[in-house]
Amino acid sequence: MDSKHSADRGARRPPIPVKIVIGGGFGVGKTTAVGAISEISPLTTEASITSVAAEIDRTSEMPEKTTTTVALDFGCITVDDELKLYLFGTPGQDRFGFMWQDLVQGALGALVLVDSRRLGDCYPAVDYFERIGLPFVIAVNLFDGRLSHDLDDVRWALAVHEDVPLITVDARARMSVRDALLAVLRRARDRTMLPRI
Amino acid sequence: MTGHPDAGSAEPSDVSLVRPYVMTSGSSQEPRSPIEIEAQVLTSELGLAAAEQLRFELRDIVALCRCTVAVAEVAAALRLHIGVARVLIAELADRGLVTVHRPDGELGTDPGTIERIIRGLEALR
Repeated sequence: MDSKHSADRGARRPPIPVKIVIGGGFGVGKTTAVGAISEISPLTTEASITSVAAEIDRTSEMPEKTTTTVALDFGCITVDDELKLYLFGTPGQDRFGFMWQDLVQGALGALVLVDSRRLGDCYPAVDYFERIGLPFVIAVNLFDGRLSHDLDDVRWALAVHEDVPLITVDARARMSVRDALLAVLRRARDRTMLPRI
Repeated sequence: MTGHPDAGSAEPSDVSLVRPYVMTSGSSQEPRSPIEIEAQVLTSELGLAAAEQLRFELRDIVALCRCTVAVAEVAAALRLHIGVARVLIAELADRGLVTVHRPDGELGTDPGTIERIIRGLEALR
């Protein structure tokens, strides 16, 4: 009897967490995408981003460093007995920059959602993931199921390397979001196969 | 207009009434390597036994983590700023009241693990 409870607790080992980050501009469908595939309703918590606001707020009297409280949305998918995949949507306030080492630390890769009518909104995410060398895929969200620009035009406008996969996604559709995450994972896997320079 | 006594003062109005260092008993020191937001928290036997003696916010975490819960889920469920949740969880871990299972930094670059996740997602319907 006295050995029972410890055996029970030992039997349910906590899963190993892995994560994918979902980036993009405000209102581009990040939370919708998380909600479409997460096995829990997307949860929101508060987080802080610290950023250097010098460029944007040059004329104001703000100190160089600013800490902003933002909402962080996330969900999860149980992959198997041992692995649990977390999806974190980056906060939408891109004007504050991307000093989110915390969020991205240890991530497998990132999905950057794009609204083709507001392409510029995704630049901070693309720049950031490029800079830190995190594998990412760009997915144009099909609002109303339609693409308002040709994918080639979008690639040209974003000026991303031709290696970076550019796909479409319907952020409301579970299977479509799954396929976009699979594209991120394949990209991450292919990266691990590359010889180290 | 409402005659709020703080109106017009230098203090920003959107500051939470409970400041982080109050919630953490004066400790605002995060662990050297902050606990990842996806790290898994599980209450220990010791934590279960000590629950009644803990101050309220620690007791809430110990109660919540009877089943494994991620740091971010603790923050969301208890409406804590994620930085506060981290500090409180680190304190509980230091006292042996919870165990924290942190992600393995090598996994993100392990093709076998990524392949497993791919297969897991492909099986979703």
